[in-house]
Amino acid sequence: MKIGLIAFVMIWWATVSVAHQLLVFAFVEDGTVIVETKFSTGKIPVSGDVRVLDAQNAVLMTLELQSDGTVQFPLDPALSAQGLLIEVATGEGHDNYWILTPDDIARATKETQ
Amino acid sequence: MRKTLVAAAALTAVTGTAALAHYGMIIPSDSMVSQEDGRSVELTLSFSHPFELDGMVLETPVSFNVTHEGETSDLLGDLQAATVMDEPGFMLDYPLDRPGTYVFAMEPQPYWEPVEDSFIIHYTKTYVSAFGDDEGWDAELGLRTEIVPMSKPFGLWDGNVFQGVVKLEGAPVPNAEVEVEYYNEDGSATAPSELMITQTVKADENGVFTYAAPSSGWWGFAALNTADETMEFEGEAKAVELGAVIWVHFEDWTGE
Repeated sequence: MKIGLIAFVMIWWATVSVAHQLLVFAFVEDGTVIVETKFSTGKIPVSGDVRVLDAQNAVLMTLELQSDGTVQFPLDPALSAQGLLIEVATGEGHDNYWILTPDDIARATKETQ
Repeated sequence: MRKTLVAAAALTAVTGTAALAHYGMIIPSDSMVSQEDGRSVELTLSFSHPFELDGMVLETPVSFNVTHEGETSDLLGDLQAATVMDEPGFMLDYPLDRPGTYVFAMEPQPYWEPVEDSFIIHYTKTYVSAFGDDEGWDAELGLRTEIVPMSKPFGLWDGNVFQGVVKLEGAPVPNAEVEVEYYNEDGSATAPSELMITQTVKADENGVFTYAAPSSGWWGFAALNTADETMEFEGEAKAVELGAVIWVHFEDWTGE
């Protein structure tokens, strides 16, 4: 399972920029994907651009980060079956990503059932 | 040649009888878990002489818990029996649900050490960062005795110093003695003198100590103090050694 996860992440790793200081985390709750961000200093970014991509690197949607450093969107089971890449850019090289793996999504879905 | 053999035999005899440093141990599979590493960390709990890889029996602890974002959760019931260094210990695969620093802490049962004519209780802890977030790295748990980190207790290069404050009953311990020992996991480290198996540093008047690790790997720091109370053994009151133990991982320097 770990090897699968590493391979899964590495495929995307090659396509995303290396991150500095911005921390991104996402999880699924009650059918909604919740994205949280903060800087390594603990401060919250007040704005930023969020891109959600599928496993084929197709952009599914773009969103604006809310002033509390979060953003939410409904989970589409059909489009997220192979996982989602969530990229957040807040400018000046402060960007990072979180990968919601199929296991993450399956686990969250199971917990709410 | 004969002299060497005799000296070696004598040294072996001394080693076999000398009071070696005991360490409670909590060793995670990784001190900095990235999202690429997975979503859990495996913990191994034991009691040993870590440099010599001399295992001892770890009875079911009095408590084992995790603190994250200020909340402490009991994990004692989740421990799985395991064999560590050929002796009974415990393991746990703990899921990491969110970023941040997870502090794992164990209070073992009092261990009767006949050689020292005292009981030993080593309050043991280690810090694990999840998903690039180090918030909470300096968390103080409020244990009866503990080393509160002043250096981030993960993400250290070999050669860096680790600094911490020794606390007992919530107060810094001036001039506290801190024993330092390497977890010689693959058995490759050798010590030219027994004095170098367990090293000792003293804290300053504020209870602050400093140690520079000479190599990467897991290093255990144990600040030892004697409790005010005694415990009974075979009808006699015996001293109780309280140990504040923290395990810190140092990383290989990657430069030339």
